[in-house]
Amino acid sequence: MLTANGICKSFAGVPALKNVSVEIRPNEVVGLIGENGAGKSTLMRVLAGTHQPDGGALLLDGKPLRLRHAADAAAQGIGMVFQEQSLLLNLSVAENIYLGQEDQFLRFGIVNWKAMHAAARRQLAKIGVDIDVRARASELTFAARQMVELAKALTLEETVSRPLVILLDEPTSVLGAGDIKVLFDRVRALKSRASFVFVSHRLDEVLEISDRVYTMKDGEVVAEHRADAITGPELHEIMVGRGLQASYYKEDRQHPPRDDIIVDARKISHAGHFSQVDLQIRAGEILGIAGVVGSGREEVTRAIGGFLPHDSGTLSIRGERVRFRSPQDAVRRGIGYVPRERRVEGLVMFLSIAENITLADLSAVTRRGAISHGRERRLALDWIRRLRIKAPGPEIACRKLSGGNQQKVVLARWMTAGSRILILDHPTRGLDVGAKEEVYELVRELSGDGVAILLISDTLEETIGLSHRVMVMRDGEVTAHFDAPAGAKPDQVDLVRAMV
Amino acid sequence: MDFRTLRSAFSLGWVNAAIPPALLLILILGIGSAAPGFLTQETLLLLLANTAVLFILAAGVTGVILVGGIDLSIQAIASLSSVILAQLVPQIGIMAFPAAILAGVVFGVLSGLVHVRLKVPSFVATLATGGVVAGIALWAADGRAITIEASGRVFTGWINGSFAGLPVVVWIAAVLGAALYLVMRYTPFGRYSLAIGAGEPAAIAAGINVDRTKIIAFAISGGLAAIAGVVLAARLSSGSPTLANQLLLPAIAAVIVGGTAITGGLGGIGRTAVGALIISIVRMGMTFIGVNIFAENVVFGAVLILAVAITIDRSKIAVIK
Repeated sequence: MLTANGICKSFAGVPALKNVSVEIRPNEVVGLIGENGAGKSTLMRVLAGTHQPDGGALLLDGKPLRLRHAADAAAQGIGMVFQEQSLLLNLSVAENIYLGQEDQFLRFGIVNWKAMHAAARRQLAKIGVDIDVRARASELTFAARQMVELAKALTLEETVSRPLVILLDEPTSVLGAGDIKVLFDRVRALKSRASFVFVSHRLDEVLEISDRVYTMKDGEVVAEHRADAITGPELHEIMVGRGLQASYYKEDRQHPPRDDIIVDARKISHAGHFSQVDLQIRAGEILGIAGVVGSGREEVTRAIGGFLPHDSGTLSIRGERVRFRSPQDAVRRGIGYVPRERRVEGLVMFLSIAENITLADLSAVTRRGAISHGRERRLALDWIRRLRIKAPGPEIACRKLSGGNQQKVVLARWMTAGSRILILDHPTRGLDVGAKEEVYELVRELSGDGVAILLISDTLEETIGLSHRVMVMRDGEVTAHFDAPAGAKPDQVDLVRAMV
Repeated sequence: MDFRTLRSAFSLGWVNAAIPPALLLILILGIGSAAPGFLTQETLLLLLANTAVLFILAAGVTGVILVGGIDLSIQAIASLSSVILAQLVPQIGIMAFPAAILAGVVFGVLSGLVHVRLKVPSFVATLATGGVVAGIALWAADGRAITIEASGRVFTGWINGSFAGLPVVVWIAAVLGAALYLVMRYTPFGRYSLAIGAGEPAAIAAGINVDRTKIIAFAISGGLAAIAGVVLAARLSSGSPTLANQLLLPAIAAVIVGGTAITGGLGGIGRTAVGALIISIVRMGMTFIGVNIFAENVVFGAVLILAVAITIDRSKIAVIK
């Protein structure tokens, strides 16, 4: 019915989809799995019309289909339920369902609310849920909001005369087990009238609900299976691809950490995010935290970085008790944060390489309170040489650099500031393989110099490969610890067991 | 050439930076050839003297715009400081100057505190403090202009004089402009201002004290507005709670026409000097052509809209609020 043929898509020169072909047949649930960054969401956005492919074609019933924006897709009966929930929280359920389609309820330019509420009730009845259509979206639970989104996608049935294709982008990531079951029941009931594409990285769910499963890796579809012909562990092996390769993560350069404890958190909590977390990092040690979305690991790193102050427990840096009210406090204690959102939190994109390198600590280039532009330039040139940053010169604005080179500038900044503690928040996100390897090398070098490193990463493989120790979190609590010495790395399956 | 191609030409950085000085040159030469009397030393000195107050105001607000904010209280602060000067100079003599300027700094700091501590958007914070300040000025002066009598003019007369061939007001503007230029280029405060304006989340993550930097920017803006008010009062020998009322729009227009981005992070004092001269020349030009003086702000409003519309890079901004 809906076919994607050889779709290619790049962002800023980095390919996100490479020659991807998938087919969605009538009355079918198609599963799409892959690790973060494998290209699942990008593919969904191409199908939903919000991204335009650079190459390849979409076909609907064999006829070429060009989607310029989401409205084009909707006109063809393709609806998307977004990963980040897209309801407007200040509007009612009915207003959300018919957002942008109010024309049908207009009488002399005035919305007939009664008619809209009745229509919205009919939509919700289709999926058999009982939600007050006049309630504000903000009053609903996450699960109810998800149902409203689904009902919203189903309004296409009235405007489009062909079977629908509904794209569900990680709909279960915020749902509990009971709600997931309700959602799956609805999807099964609606299968006679529509096709679904279901994205998740929880393999068991995908296998439970799907008829067919595509596996993506590094922007490519690497496998296609009937869901009843494969098991979760087999699928996992395909999804991760290669087994752990010692050389890729420079394991030969992983040395045992030193004895002195640099970061020592005891029973730190932040209500609603994480509780009673114990965490120690020694000089030269890389501590990885593994966990799914919502496990609280992101918030723990934000807490150590000073963005999200802990509200109970104690945090000590080099034996001294601290309480961070802002990142400024953390930076003063020698903590450098390498953020996941490089272009937002990592660098000031319009400032030059040199200005970004000295941003956290100008003292190396100031003399009697005045910035010496000559010294700053020489310092930046030195880093450009040492880290092999590819740039015409230190005065180039950071927005003109590739992702890998931007990441090197961020690291150069913290090395200039003399940070002895680094927080690496998804340090290789969006980087190509070569740039990743360079970052790994730098991380090993820093660790060898005695820098204490806290790591959270997109892939388990990377977490295990780089870390000396891995801590696993689930629902805001620490569930397991694994030692990960060079040559004796723990098994991913064991970690996954503690994660879900 | 349609609007979009015009704008994409402007989005090239160096084109953007070169346009205001080129425009200034064209204006000077254009008016000079049309009215030969214009290119004399006398007229040019008058132009500089007339630009001084506008430049001082605009230079202060440049710092606030660079950190990504706006200061709408400057005309009220300038008016208040003129009233303070006129009232105090007969009593405390030369000390009336620092008193008036200090008042400006205090209200600048107040705007800054409201903005960063209470997290009120800067345009609302300064609109409100501007209202408060204007009210205080009206109250203090009892709603009237206060003439500086001969006994007071002993202390204010020097501002109307000349030094080394240049009017003293031009010297004041030049010294303040040079000082601010050096501050922006050589101090951590200047660097942090640009970083905050261009990327506040990154500045926060780098450990910069964003709140303090913003408050300093507002303090400088308030202080310079007060200096502008003092200079204006000395030149006119009078302080008034509505003295600077028509100066907010031209001051902000000067900053933007000079090439400082309204979104922050890009620009500087040098550009504002060029922008202030452009605004000043346009104003003089209008008088030459015989445009009604009351229509001035119609022109400045239109110029401001045009300058923002063609220079802002909207491809990076999804929603304009």
